[in-house]
Parts: sequence; structure tokens; C-alpha cells
Amino acid sequence: MRTDDIIGQLVADLDPVTPLHRRSGIVRILIGLAISTFVVVYGFGVRADLVAGRPDPMFLTSTGLFLILALASSWAAIDMARPSVGTRRDGWAWTAMMAAVLPLAALGLIALDLSAGQPVYVDASGFHCLVEGSTAGLLTLAIMVLWLRRGAPSSPPMAGMLAGVAAGSAGIFAVSLCCPESDLVHIGIWHGGTVILTGVLARLFLPRLLAW
Amino acid sequence: MIADEAILARLAAMAQGGDRQAYATMLTSCRDWLLRYFRRKVMPDQVEDLVQETLLSVHRKLASYDPARPFYPWLAAIGRYRFVDHLRLAYRHAGQTSITDEDLAIDSKEDAIASRVSLDRLFDALPAPQKAVIELVKVKGLSVREASNQTGQSESLVKVNIHRGLKRLAGLIEEA
Repeated sequence: MRTDDIIGQLVADLDPVTPLHRRSGIVRILIGLAISTFVVVYGFGVRADLVAGRPDPMFLTSTGLFLILALASSWAAIDMARPSVGTRRDGWAWTAMMAAVLPLAALGLIALDLSAGQPVYVDASGFHCLVEGSTAGLLTLAIMVLWLRRGAPSSPPMAGMLAGVAAGSAGIFAVSLCCPESDLVHIGIWHGGTVILTGVLARLFLPRLLAW
Repeated sequence: MIADEAILARLAAMAQGGDRQAYATMLTSCRDWLLRYFRRKVMPDQVEDLVQETLLSVHRKLASYDPARPFYPWLAAIGRYRFVDHLRLAYRHAGQTSITDEDLAIDSKEDAIASRVSLDRLFDALPAPQKAVIELVKVKGLSVREASNQTGQSESLVKVNIHRGLKRLAGLIEEA
């Protein structure tokens, strides 16, 4: 078929479309995050020190990092829906590196204990945080996937990974508000592990959904 | 004739609102630009197909254009995406024919934007060994053995470099 004929068909098929504005994307993410957080907090209750108005510094720091990581990676993923040569979106990576301090510090503490011949204690109950955090991030993930499928991410693997990191961070942020633990090893391994897990899974499985 | 940046951005915004006349003008300009864009990087008999595939993507992804942003970098990102996809598909099919230098028409009148978004720039971001074998095998249509002889890389290394290069190209679509 000739290109002119194809152009004629495309013109005949034209329907008005709403441009993908970054602001409306981030509003959707914030609404999703608010809903997820409300559901988790409603279901599990807010941790005691937060209710008492004396939150643990470790909790504040780590939860803040996960929230910022969720926003930064969401911002980058949302922008990926609008391709443009000459665009760099690596700001999220600096936030990810900051958040990576948590699991790295946890692993460092474990390594120190091992080298000192001391028993290592990693609470297996933290597995709940991993499962609940991943589940709580599903709404964010769904919003992100729908948004990206409307757009044209030039790198589906990167877009998938960012969506996974955003979903995991958003989910674990919500769960952190309920989790009573303030231990660095728990937060680094289980909360940090949630973000890593969702990022890896999304990197593996989402590209097929996001290719165009 | 190829419309300038501001006119195309305006036409695209009107097309997003459903203006068919503006859309027809926009697509015709895109076609002309894409013909020039791909002519130097794919075999002549494949240019038309690639232009058509890119126009279809432009149609399906029209919402992804932000009228506040420049138009050509958006069009080039879509074109590059289709081009890398085309290379990947070609990678899976053997028996390409080679082309002569005369077939590789070069248009020397690149403006600033076209230079920025050019496919050459995408290739320039590749390590030299990967760039060399992809251009020889995927663009010029040489066999792996011929590319091996020309570059001094072993045949298996040629294959590995093509594979890695294509993967890297896919990640560089917007950044290079």
C-alpha cells in the first residue's frame, strides 16, 4: 500500500485525543497512593509511636526516603510516556541510591555480626511487610501501566522497572506507617527488599505490556 | 517541503483536537522528513515500509506528544524506536542482500534539530566494535563472515557485538 493511501486512512480514522500531561499523571499517582495508604492504615492501624506523636527517627528517615523514591520514580516513569530525543531522566537514580543506603547498611551490619562470630538475627516476620508492601503497591502499578500504555515509552524495560520501583516504594511507604519495627536490619532487608523485588519483577514482566 | 518546527507543533496540537486537515498536513510533512531520516540508515527497499510503520505509530501515539515541547525530537524518538525494532527483526532473518554506496543517499542539509535527533548520533553512542558490525551487517547487508573479515572480530564476537549493540541502541533512543 502506498504511503499516501495510509495517510489518507489515518486522517479518516482521526479521533480527538487528550495529550498526556505530566501533571495529570502525577495527580493519578498521588490519588492511588492516598487510597493505598488509607486502605493499609485502615486495615492494620497506625504504629503506636506515630499515634503517640513521638515517632522513631529511624522510622521517619526510612519512610521519608521511600516516599521520595516513590515520587521520583513515578515522575520519571510518567514522563517516559512522552518520548523526546535529547531527554535524560536520571534524577530518580540519585534518590534510589539514597534509599539503597538502607539495605546496604543492613547487609553491612549483618556482615559485621558474622565476622565477629555473633549470631545474625533477621526477623522472618518481616516477610509479611514484603508481601503487604508489594500488594499495597499494586494500585500504583496499575495506574502506571495504564498511563504508560497510553503513551510511547522508548525503553519498555526501563519504564517497567521504574513502574515497579515506584509501586514498591509507594506500597512499603504505606506499610511503614503500620509496621511497628524501627530496626535498621528489618527496614533494610524487608522494606528495602520490597522495592528491589517489585523493581526486578516489573523489569522482567512489564516490557511485553509496554512495547508498542 | 518540510514544515518548520513551530508549524508542525501547532499542526500536531490541532490534530490532537481532531482537525483532519491539520493532521493530513502534519502527516505529509512527517512522511517527507522520515523519508530523509531513514534513507541513510536502511536499505532503499525498506525505507517506505519503515516510514509507514512510523506513521502508524505516530497515529496510535498521538496523545504522547506534548504541544509545549518541540515536535521533531518527539517524531525522531518514535522513528528511532521503530528503527531499532526494524534492526531487531532484521537480526532474526538471514539472507539480506548488500547494497552499494550509491544506494546510501546522503543529504548534507541537516539543520540543527535534525542533527541532534539523527540516527547517526544514535550510532555514535555505541562502542566502536558494536557500531562497526551493526553498520556492516544490518545497514550494509554483509554476512557475519564478511563483517568478521573486515573488522578482524571473530564470527562469534560479531554476533555478540550485534546483540549487545542492538540492546544498547534500544536504551539510547532518547538519550543519545
